[in-house]
Amino acid sequence: MEIILSVKNVSKTIRGKQIINDISFNVKEGQIYGFLGPNGAGKTMTIRMIVGLMYPTSGSIEIGGYDIRKSFVKAISQVGCIIENPEFYEYFSGFDNLELLRKMEPHDLKLGINEIVEWVGLSKRIHDKVSTYSLGMKQRLGIAQALMKKPKLLILDEPTNGLDPAGIIEFRNLVQMLSKERGMTIFISSHQLSEIQMICDEVAIVLHGKMIQNSKVQALSQGHKIIWHVDDVPKARKILREKFDIESFKDSQDSLYANIDDDYIERINRELLFSDIAVKFVYKKQKSLEDLFMELTGGETIG
Amino acid sequence: MKRLVNIVKNEILKIFYKKRMHVITAILFIVIILFAYGEHYTLSKAQERAAVQFEIENEEEWKNILELQLADLERRLDSAYIPDRGKASIRVRVEQIKFYIDYDVNPISSSVARFMGRLIEQSIFLFLPLLIILLAADMVSGEMTFGTIKLILTRPVKRWRIIMGKLLALSMLEMVVISMIALLSYLIASMVFSYSGFNEPVVTGFRVLENQLDTSAVRTIPQWQYLLMVYAIAYFVAFVIGSLSLMVSVMVQSTSASIGIMMSTLIGGSFLSLFISEWKITRYFFTTNLNLTAYLTGDFQIVEGLSMSFSILVLLGWSIGAIIIAFIFFTQKDILS
Repeated sequence: MEIILSVKNVSKTIRGKQIINDISFNVKEGQIYGFLGPNGAGKTMTIRMIVGLMYPTSGSIEIGGYDIRKSFVKAISQVGCIIENPEFYEYFSGFDNLELLRKMEPHDLKLGINEIVEWVGLSKRIHDKVSTYSLGMKQRLGIAQALMKKPKLLILDEPTNGLDPAGIIEFRNLVQMLSKERGMTIFISSHQLSEIQMICDEVAIVLHGKMIQNSKVQALSQGHKIIWHVDDVPKARKILREKFDIESFKDSQDSLYANIDDDYIERINRELLFSDIAVKFVYKKQKSLEDLFMELTGGETIG
Repeated sequence: MKRLVNIVKNEILKIFYKKRMHVITAILFIVIILFAYGEHYTLSKAQERAAVQFEIENEEEWKNILELQLADLERRLDSAYIPDRGKASIRVRVEQIKFYIDYDVNPISSSVARFMGRLIEQSIFLFLPLLIILLAADMVSGEMTFGTIKLILTRPVKRWRIIMGKLLALSMLEMVVISMIALLSYLIASMVFSYSGFNEPVVTGFRVLENQLDTSAVRTIPQWQYLLMVYAIAYFVAFVIGSLSLMVSVMVQSTSASIGIMMSTLIGGSFLSLFISEWKITRYFFTTNLNLTAYLTGDFQIVEGLSMSFSILVLLGWSIGAIIIAFIFFTQKDILS
């Protein structure tokens, strides 16, 4: 598969403070790529550099083989994006906003504004001023704006921020549809792990401006964890550590978990019972990205 | 090229939809009405005073007084004791008085044309710049404040084209503002003053030679020609202020900051003209050179080295500098908003 977005050793220093530190990753054509990290990790800044709103202090970014700095027009022509909140000229109607942006494109777009507006379901209100729109409507207009030029690469920065659960599901379907039916490559940043896990093929994780992991979502969340609900968590953890040399984690007030193979479980359970620890349940759970994130970041809070 | 035209169109649309032009028109309307009333009121008072002074009882007697004045001036022109240098100004005075007599015009009265000229002369150094600041100050900073800058900078258009489009749109809108001033002052003055006076001779051609106002080159031109000159000069001033405002707009993040900076610079900077004769550096500041029309009317403080061309050059320098800085800043800027 062809690489459509390539970020190479990108760093950004603002007023002597290094905010992005040597980030590299490749997005291949047709992928849904997740860009994951807590708020303030440098996701938005990286995206701003990808779309040419900011300039990297060092490193390079290529879109479809064109350097974003040296051949800005050719590179950005392939990108549709929503950066942070969908912001529009409030004093124009939604239609006039789209028309204004369309006029900045090099050739007349084949996709008419009316079609895209209908497609995102804004037809009824498109001639009203944007100042009267709800956040959800602005988001739809944002999507219309990004898709209007039929981009190869769609960049969405925290797209589910402020959406209600129904909106999030709708959004997820939209992304999957764009990917499957139109073959669009989609790059999504998020601080919500579940979101990324559900729709992305590959994920890059950033923390404090550094990449800490970059791999397939499936590979990342492979393996599982065993959870015990017991009456004495510290004692149980002590037993696991001392008798089995297994590092366990506190899951909640009365549970703990460990990343181990099934083979141990029987022996551990026996040992717990012998030590007078009441075991209420034992079960196996697929490891989530969230767990992985916790492990990678040492419990850094997310969101 | 076609896209640059589109960008200019977009920028003009933005200004109109923001109702910025409406606000400027409303301000102009009110100010011009007040100015017209003031002018009318002052002149009628002056006429009353003159009538008392010259013991005039009816309108017809104006002509007699003017004819007396004319005869006196013509005698002085023939006099051997008046140096040639002084004769030029007497000659234009004669020409003016002849016009008043021929066309039956009371010299202490205003005309539509005179009002239009006076309005620009009085607004060129402060009021007009304020209007232009209102127009230009949020062209870039407004897009930063509302985040729409991200929309336009992620289009396949190089950044210099976008700032170029904004500059061109601004230059056109400045033209619109100047035309609005002309149109509104014409309409309002036509209602207040009965005499149009576009052919009335106006004295111009003052120069400074050896630290003195030199009147040897004065001559008269018809009002309409004078008006064309002052409105062209006003456009030039508007362009200079517009480029400076655009530069500030590019450099700050918010509209209020950019309006504040420009207003305080303009008003604070105008105090510098107090020191212009002694403190040489002040004459290179743009605010001390805005009153360009004063050079035409001879209504200026005589300072060695200051002239119309000097002031125009200084303003041109500021304007070009501002445009260059605006372009560099805009194309290099990291968009953080």
